[in-house]
Amino acid sequence: MTDNLEYIDNYFMKELTPEESGQFEQRITDDPAFAEEVAFYLGTRETLEAQLAADKKERFRAIYNDREAEAPVVRMNPIRKLWPYISAAAVMIVLVARFVFFNMAVSPIKLADEYMRDNFQNLGVPMGSDNNLLSKSKNLFNEGKLEEALITLEPLVQTESSNYEALEIAGIAALRLEEYDKAISYFQRLENYPKKLISNPGKFYHALALLKRNQPGDQAAARPLLQQVMDEDLEGKKTARKWLGKKWE
Amino acid sequence: MAPDNVSRQFTEQEIVSGLMQSGTNRSRAEEQLFRQYDYFIREGIRKYSLSNDESFDAYSDAVLSAITKVTNGSFEGRSSLKTWIYQIYHNKCVDLIRKKATNKHSVHNTQAISDMLFALPDKARSVVQEMMDKTDKEILSRRLSEIGDLCRNLLLFWAEGYPDKEIVALMEYKTADVVKTSRLRCMEKLRQLYQSQK
Repeated sequence: MTDNLEYIDNYFMKELTPEESGQFEQRITDDPAFAEEVAFYLGTRETLEAQLAADKKERFRAIYNDREAEAPVVRMNPIRKLWPYISAAAVMIVLVARFVFFNMAVSPIKLADEYMRDNFQNLGVPMGSDNNLLSKSKNLFNEGKLEEALITLEPLVQTESSNYEALEIAGIAALRLEEYDKAISYFQRLENYPKKLISNPGKFYHALALLKRNQPGDQAAARPLLQQVMDEDLEGKKTARKWLGKKWE
Repeated sequence: MAPDNVSRQFTEQEIVSGLMQSGTNRSRAEEQLFRQYDYFIREGIRKYSLSNDESFDAYSDAVLSAITKVTNGSFEGRSSLKTWIYQIYHNKCVDLIRKKATNKHSVHNTQAISDMLFALPDKARSVVQEMMDKTDKEILSRRLSEIGDLCRNLLLFWAEGYPDKEIVALMEYKTADVVKTSRLRCMEKLRQLYQSQK
């Protein structure tokens, strides 16, 4: 073993002092034979590193090949391959379903009946207000005594500045009693109520009453009302959008 | 890391800690690291229009580069291991695409340059680099297989970055000094073989 080899190893293992390292570096430029020995030392290291990398790559290749062979069972690759086709098929199914669903004509009366069944069976009665006419009419309404409820409300709906809640309940009671003209009249007054209300279902109920009445021209009159409910972000907007999205009989 | 755990996903911490160990533990951590993100290979095929072999090479090189950096302490953990390896892999893919565009025949002819060379200042490095270029790597590689398994393994541990004091345990030497003396003797043996049969 030459002394130079140990000296070279000491330099690269950082075992020389800064001064010794400087001398080492200077010797490379001054002494070609020494530089050649350094080149051999580093060339050997480089060759060994390349061999190590090649060995590891070979191990990685074996692992990769094994995993690729397992792929059809263990991994999701086949599904990934099919994914664009599955997605396209799903989109087609949704489009066809939407087409069929939206092109299936529905009866506006049926829509109105469903809405009334879901929303017009019971009215909320505030606690501790048993004695006023509004609460009394609500109680009568909830008991199914619709005519009596309507009669009770009449003093409250006589004037333009009538109680808006009385107008709403009177309209709903009339609608359930199939007194459509009266219901539409109450809802129109609610729709045009002079005071600004946080929530005013008048226009939507007006359209609902027209659909329920179903006289010639009622459907045509109900559509723009529902559209306005949507455009003006009024109460009933969600239902209006749903109804307008369907094909009417 | 037990060998029966090869199918489970390891945490980045487990892998990094495995790479910092020695012997079998390090080898298993290397293999686990390769397995952990090997789906990048498919991504390379799709995203960069590489062949399966090209993408595998780029990913393997990225993993090897990551292993070197983790073991020599260059990986600072500022980003996740996955993000970091993906970045290395992405750069390898881009290099590969560029090489393909300029010279289709030299794609796989890359030769890693030892980090050790960069310990030298510019002037000394260029002198040594010029001489290294004249070294016949194929002959040197053949001579390495002729110096005996003990010597070869000892030099491979050294090239893998193990300090002499760790090689003591790995190869059952008595002391680090004995490892160093043996290592330099093996290198001298290699040099004599190389020079005599060049």
